[in-house]
Formats: sequence, C-alpha cells, structure tokens
Amino acid sequence: MRRPARIGAALLGVVGLLASAACSTQPQANEKQTIKIVYQRTDSFTALDKVFKDAKQEFEAANSGVTVDLQPIQANDDDYGTKLALAQRSPDTAPDVFYEDTFKVRSDVDAGYLMKLDSQLANWDEWSKFNESAKAAGRGDDGSVYAVPLGTDTRAIWYNKTVLQKAGIPLPWQPKTWDDILAAARKMKAADPSVIPFSMYAGKGTGEGTVMQSFYELLYGTGSSLYSESDKKWVVGSKGFTDSLQFLKTLYDERLSVTPADALDSNVWKKVFGQWLPQGKMGATVEGSYAPSFWQKGGSYEWAGYAQDMGVAKFPTQFGQDPGGVSMSGGWTLAVGAKTKSPGLAFKFLATAVNKKNALAFDVNNSQIAVRADVASDPGYQAANPFVKDVSDLVGVTHYRPATADYPKISLAVQQATEAVITGKQGPAEAAAEYDASVKKLVGDAKVMQK
Amino acid sequence: MPVPDSLHRGSLRRRFRLLPVVPSILLLVLFMLAPVAWSFYASFTNAALSGKAALNPQWIGLDNYARMLTDSVFPLSAWLTVVFVAVSAILGQNVLGLVIALLMTKSGGATASLVGTAVIASWVLPEIVAAFAAYAYFSQDGTLNQLLGMLGVYGANWLYAFPMAAVILANVWRGTAFSMLVYRAALAQVPRDISEAALMDGARGWQRLAFITLPIIRGSIATNLMLVTLQTLAVFTLIWVMTAGGPSNASTTLPVLAYQEAFKLGDIGYGTAIASVLILIGMVFGTVYVRLLRRANS
Amino acid sequence: MTSLRREPRFTERRPTAVAGRRPRVRLAANAALAVIGMCFVLPLAWLLLASVDPHAGYQTRWPQSPSFANFAAVLTPELLFVPLLNSLLLSAGTAVVNLAASVLAAYPLSRYQSRFNKPFLYAILFGTSLPVTAIMVPVYGLFVQLQLLDSMPATIFFMATTTLPMAIWMTKNFMDSVPLELEEAAWMDGASGLATLRRIVVPLMRQGLGVVFIFVFIQAWGNFFVPFILLLSTAKQPAAVSVFSFFGQHGAIAYGELAAFSILYSVPVLVLYTVVARGSGSAFALSGAMKG
Repeated sequence: MRRPARIGAALLGVVGLLASAACSTQPQANEKQTIKIVYQRTDSFTALDKVFKDAKQEFEAANSGVTVDLQPIQANDDDYGTKLALAQRSPDTAPDVFYEDTFKVRSDVDAGYLMKLDSQLANWDEWSKFNESAKAAGRGDDGSVYAVPLGTDTRAIWYNKTVLQKAGIPLPWQPKTWDDILAAARKMKAADPSVIPFSMYAGKGTGEGTVMQSFYELLYGTGSSLYSESDKKWVVGSKGFTDSLQFLKTLYDERLSVTPADALDSNVWKKVFGQWLPQGKMGATVEGSYAPSFWQKGGSYEWAGYAQDMGVAKFPTQFGQDPGGVSMSGGWTLAVGAKTKSPGLAFKFLATAVNKKNALAFDVNNSQIAVRADVASDPGYQAANPFVKDVSDLVGVTHYRPATADYPKISLAVQQATEAVITGKQGPAEAAAEYDASVKKLVGDAKVMQK
Repeated sequence: MPVPDSLHRGSLRRRFRLLPVVPSILLLVLFMLAPVAWSFYASFTNAALSGKAALNPQWIGLDNYARMLTDSVFPLSAWLTVVFVAVSAILGQNVLGLVIALLMTKSGGATASLVGTAVIASWVLPEIVAAFAAYAYFSQDGTLNQLLGMLGVYGANWLYAFPMAAVILANVWRGTAFSMLVYRAALAQVPRDISEAALMDGARGWQRLAFITLPIIRGSIATNLMLVTLQTLAVFTLIWVMTAGGPSNASTTLPVLAYQEAFKLGDIGYGTAIASVLILIGMVFGTVYVRLLRRANS
Repeated sequence: MTSLRREPRFTERRPTAVAGRRPRVRLAANAALAVIGMCFVLPLAWLLLASVDPHAGYQTRWPQSPSFANFAAVLTPELLFVPLLNSLLLSAGTAVVNLAASVLAAYPLSRYQSRFNKPFLYAILFGTSLPVTAIMVPVYGLFVQLQLLDSMPATIFFMATTTLPMAIWMTKNFMDSVPLELEEAAWMDGASGLATLRRIVVPLMRQGLGVVFIFVFIQAWGNFFVPFILLLSTAKQPAAVSVFSFFGQHGAIAYGELAAFSILYSVPVLVLYTVVARGSGSAFALSGAMKG
C-alpha cells in the first residue's frame, strides 16, 4: 500500500542528491566579482607565486569587491601543461588569467583558449615599453596578440672554474667548435675520472629541457634547423640532425655526460643545480640564463660562491662557422582565458601583474631577461647577478622555437630520438630516420621538406 | 528466497518493488556505460586538448585504429601488456599465491599468519605508496642491489636496464595477496578425507596435488585467473611511478600509452582509441568470467 | 591482520600413521614460507626505516640517529592535513553514496524473485571487470561535457560507481543471510518495505555493511588516478595526489620525508583493514577475493 510510495520517495531523494551534485558546480550568481588565476609553483620556482601574491594585494586594494583567487598548480613544466590543458576544456574550470609557455600559445589560440587582447592593449600605455621580439611570442597566426610576455631567457654553457682549472684548461673558457668541447671534456675526465665533464640533457624525462638546453644548440649550430619559416615546412633528412645525435652519442658513450639512467630522470636538473655544479662534481652543462635564480640568496639551492666559481660561455657552432655561437630563447607569458566572464577585470589584473614593479621583481628573482625597456634599464635589474650582461648579449645569436600548433608533438619526437640514441636502442642515422617518419606522420607529407 | 504469497499480488506493485534498484542503475549508466560509449565515439574523431581540433573535433572514421597498426609504439605496447599480464599475473601472482596457500596448509599457525600478514600488508597499502616502496627497492642504490652486494654481485640499475622485470616483480609483490586469499579459501573447502586417503595409498605429494587437489579447486583457479588478469590489465599507477613507461617506451603498457597519448600529447581521439581496445579486451575476459561463474553456480 | 582466523586448520592435530613424516614437512614448509615472507617484507622495511632516518637514502639501513624529524617536517596543513581531510571526504562520501545505493538495490534483489534479477546480477558482475584506468580518458571527456570537472561531489559519485558492482554483489550476499521471519512479522504489522529495510534488515546486517563500507573506503582512499584526472585545484586534492606531487618535487632529495608522508597516509587504511579482518575474518577475505 504505502510501501511503493515510500520507496518512490526515497528514490526521489537519491535522484535529488545526484541532481544537486550536478548543480553544485554551477557558478554562483556573484561569481563575476572573483577572478581565478592559474599558474605554476614548485619548491624551486616561487618567484611567480610571490609576484601574484603582491599583485593580488595591489589589485584588491584598488578594486574593492573583487576577489583574486590564486590557484597555483604544483607540478613540473610538463605536468603543469597537462593540468592547464585539462582545466581549459571546461568553462567552469577554465582560469581567467593564466601562466602560459610561449611555445604553447599558438596551439592554444587555435583551440580557442586564449582571448584576443588587441583592443585592451591599444588602450594600455605600458604596452609600448615591451620590446618587439618579445611581443611576437604572444602573437597568434592571425597577427593579433593573445599573450603578454613576462620575461625571456637565453641558453649558455655554465662551467665550474675550479674543475676546469684542475684539468689545466685556460680561463675564461670559450670553445670555438664542437671538437673543442669534446677535447676539454676528455681532459677533465682524465684529470679526475669522478667528475661529469660536460653534461647535456637528452631523453623524454627532461621534456622541453632536452631540446631547449641541448639538442637545438647543436642542431642550429650545424646550419640546419627544425622548421623553415619561409617555406612553412618541417625539415627532415638533414645531415645536421644526424650529426647532432652523433654528438650526444659521443658524450654519453664516452661517459662525458651523466649516465643515461640519470638523464632519463625528470629531476636530473635538480642534481645539476643543487649538487653537481656547486660541489665541483660537474665541469660544465648547457643551461638557461635563469641558472643564477637557483643559487642566489633566497633561491632553492643557495650557493654564495657561484658568482666567483661559475663562468659562462657561448655555445659554439659545429665547426666555428658564423655567427660563432648559438642560443635558444623561450619564456613564459600571461594570458586571459577566452571563457572569462569578466574580460575587463582579468586584463586589468594581468596588467598589474606585469607592471614595472612586479616585472622587475620577477625578472630579478627568477633571473629572467627583461622584456620591458624600463625594467632592462633599471639598476636593480642590471646588478641582479654577475651574469646579466653575458646572457643578455646572447640575444644576438638566439633562436626561437617554431611557433606552430604542431610544435609540441614534433618536440616529443626529437626527445624520443635523443632517448633512443643515448640508451643505445638506435644509432644516430636510424633514430634520425625514425624521426623523419614520425614527422611525416604527424604533419603530413605536404608540410615536410628535405634539406 | 521464498516470499510470502501475499506479496506477489499485482504486477504494478511488482514493478514498483524494483524501484530501489533505479539509483544504482542511474549511476552505472551515467558513470560506466556512458564513458564506454563516449570512448568508442571519440575514438573515431580527432578530439584534442589543444590546437584546432580542440575547438572542432572532426569525424575521422577508422584513422585512429589504422594509426595503431603503423605506429611503432602501439605494437610494442600491446606486446608489453601481454608480457606484463602473462608473467606478473598468470605466472607470478597466481602460482605464487597457490604455493603460499599450499605451504600454509602444511605449516604451523604462527608462521602462516605472520607471512600472511606480510603478504597482505603490501596489498592493503595505497597503490602509490606501494609504488614508491618498489621504486626505492629497485633503484640504483636500493635494497635489492644492497642484497646482491652482500652476495658479492654488482647489481644493475633495474629500473633503467630491466624496467619490465622491475615492474613485473613489483606487481607480483603487490598483488599476490589476492590470489593467496582466494586459494586459502578454496583449499579450506577440500575435504580432508580425500587427500588423506590418497596419502594412505602412498601417492606422493605432487601426485596428490596434480590429480586430487587441483582438480577439486579448478573453479577457484579459473575465477582467480580471470580476476588477476583483469586487475593487472588495468595497472597504471605502479608503472607510472616506477618508470613512467620508459626508458624508450620499454615499459609502456597500454594504460600508460593511452594516458600519454590523451593527456601528455593532448590527442584525446587516439588516446580513447587505445582505451577502447583495452575496454574490448576487458569485455572479452569479463564475458568468459561471467560464463565461468554461471556454470559454477548452476 | 590475521585475515582468516576462522579458517579450519586441518593439517594440525592429527596423530596418524604418517605422523613421523609430519615435522619434517612442516619444517620445510615453514622455512619456505619464511623466505617468501622476507621477500614481501623487504620493500616495506625501507619505508619504515627511512621514515625515522633524517639522512635517509634509498638504502635500507638502521638509522644512525633515529628521530621523528621527518614526520615533524611533513606535519603541516598544506602538505598533510588538508590532503588527508580531502581524502577523508572523498572516501567517506564515496562509501556513503555507495552503501545507500547498494542497500537499496540489494533489497529487492534479495527479497523478491524476478526475471530481472539474474540478468541484472550478471550484468553487474560484468561491470566489475571493466578496467577503470581504461575508462579514465572517456570519463574525463564526459566530465568536460557535463561540466563536472573539479567537482568533489561528482568525483565522489564516479568513484562510488566504480566500486558499486562489487558492493551490490556483496551486500546482496549479506542480505541473503538475514532470516526472513522477522521481516514477515513486521509486514504483518503493516510496516512498509522501506521501513522494514531500515528498522530490521539494516540493523541485522550491520557488520556486513561495515565490511562493505570499509571495502569501498579503502579502495577510494588508495585511488590516485581518478582524483588526479578529475580534481584540478590543489585545495581539493586528496593525499594520494599530494604524495605524488611531493615525490615529483622532493622525491630525489627528501627520501625520509617521503617515507614519513607515505606512512602517515597509509596508517588509516591499515588500521581499518585490521579492524575488519579481526571483526569478520573470512567474510572480508572472501569479499576481498571478489574484488574486481
């Protein structure tokens, strides 16, 4: 009699519970007064966290009634990219302002995640202070600007002077060719077999680090390149590609670099900065201009002696051909989410986060190369560490990654090739052939050229 | 279950009786059936996390499945999955579980319960913690190499040089408790007189095992094989923490590959295609499993 | 954690003709078991020793200066308490939803004959064999479509569903063993089906329900992959995910803290398992044996 009715009521209750769960994620009515910021924070990368915390205070004081919701993601670059992409798929989880790697900008513009900033930038007087090449990093294929750069960087050889001295290598050291590097490395190994003479990243573990701080320095020094900007095609079958793999193979086969097992550990760079270089167990490595950020006061691997003990050298071209050196530049940007409900507030916050004071703090704490003219000329910036001038000069020989939507997948194919070579799974020619095949598969034969 | 006749009145009410099952059905349809359906659908598209395809996924037919055949990693990955399941589940967990259970019937109470505790502890631990413990155990200066060092053998960097062996052993370590429990329960049901009678006849230990004990518990063996296979097929966290599928994809089983393609590379379409293959394999095993139980029950 | 305390031990206490051979067999069996047991304990020994060793590495060694410094270092709200609270919310929520749904579903399946019962139960059984890792990619896609990403309740409902088939199966078995007589009396008095379920059946199978609750709770507590994909904001992440990011960031350096963190995170489920194993012995072992 009443039994079915009761059961029905209980059922309704459960269905209601389900429905309420589904509804609980719906935005609340006054949510437009909250803006959500997503960015990366790790225990060795807190510079941005500090900038955002300051910017939040500044912004909330100036805009009463607006709450800035900071949502740091604790992950390495690779996982951060994944988590950010996961969040951007849904309007509820998509951030209003977020921290975006320059090489992902175009791909994410294509995906419709980034808001076009042209009209906001037109009314923002500080935009003229940003240098032109940095502005290009935030541009989409349509020529509009979608992201504002925070800073840029270059890559160089960082060497420990005491290790080189012990091996009798005259200082300051500046190798002119790849062979110079090998010769010096062999000398170091002979002087002290326990040191890692010259380490270059390889494999998928270090992700973009493998290509930015290792493979591209080699490839772009052979006269070849990854992508032809003029033809808008990916380059395959180049001798430079095979030569670059061969160089890595030599480094790893002769144990001049870290062991392959260490190279595949995604945390290997922490040992480079935190242990091997400071303790004099590594002669040299190729790393970013941001290296001092780890060693300076407040950095994650404080090392008071780094200013005296470390030296910087330009990475040479293969045979010393012009322009005599190679560097790579990347950097990170801030962007406004395309799904934001309050574009005005979001951009205003972005502008606060990159104003002169905050940009200066970020560039100094994170050892970035300034992209704002007023920051670059600030005495505080120039005195931030002894290497600011050296690494800034490398802008003259620097290269940028191809800013295409396909790039992340191509990069992974390159990492795969280096991994196959250093683990001995494939020879350089074989790995290069497999890379060519994957590129053709990824982008199609029409977007590939032989060189 | 006998039910009073008075409760059988009226087909309407009989239908209402099943109402309480509805919430469960709703949950199962929404969170299990729908994802499976969506998986098959998305595997025919080029859905992605970034790029143009993220905005407008296109229907690309069987392209993702065709790509599996030409992909250099997929066949390797499928093979590694077979090896992983065959060696760690069917051979490792299953046989070791049976051996432990048999030994327990022969041994004293204290040893049996202590060893049982040790075996079960690694099974009850959260998967991620077990994975860390295994990572530490197999790492270059980990416990395994320490032990080998004591024997005068210089150990390898297991996670790098023999990644499959490391994850297989780790999975045996973590999962054997399950088979052990199944077989202990099964062996407890073997009538004592049968094995003792055989003993009187002078049958040797292995003969009794092969011709008497095993045939009696064959139902449990079949069930256990199905279940450990299905569980092992789905192992992700253990491998992800220990080797992340490397080096050079040498330990990339299908769940790891699906994760990499879908989330690391943002290729949701290809990732779901791989997931769909896994689901299909699971369904085949599931069907066999249900049949087995059905036969056992009838 | 003696899980099978009530198991009949038929090899003991049997003075028969072969008694003379028994002790040797037994000794050999004990020795073999001891070796196997050692192999299983070794990886755990590292966890325990490293957690009290402030200078721990990946080696298993007796700490030179044992201390609880590692535990003290991870006992912070951000690292430990918030993630543990999230784990508790997720696991308890999952277990409650699961229990409510499976008790409701098990009642008609256990009490009324119907043509629907058998196919449904087999379908459920089939559901237990679905590899959950395989459906994570599509589930993510589904959560995006339904805009449920980063929602704690939705994640709870999903996790409850993945263990639901097993829970229904177990609950029905427990319910089958509750005698019908008491309910019949209540029905005669005019009580509704739901009322009898609540007032008579549920209290009688309290212990069984406890087993199901803990079974689901332990599964949810240890789950890493599901919250890793579905919960995005740090503030909502359970301990499994925060242990993982701790490993990514400090794993190569703070081994001892990682071990301490892992232990603090594991203790609740170890305790729960022991409680159940002691309370209902083989019942849990068997239900565990059915785990899908």
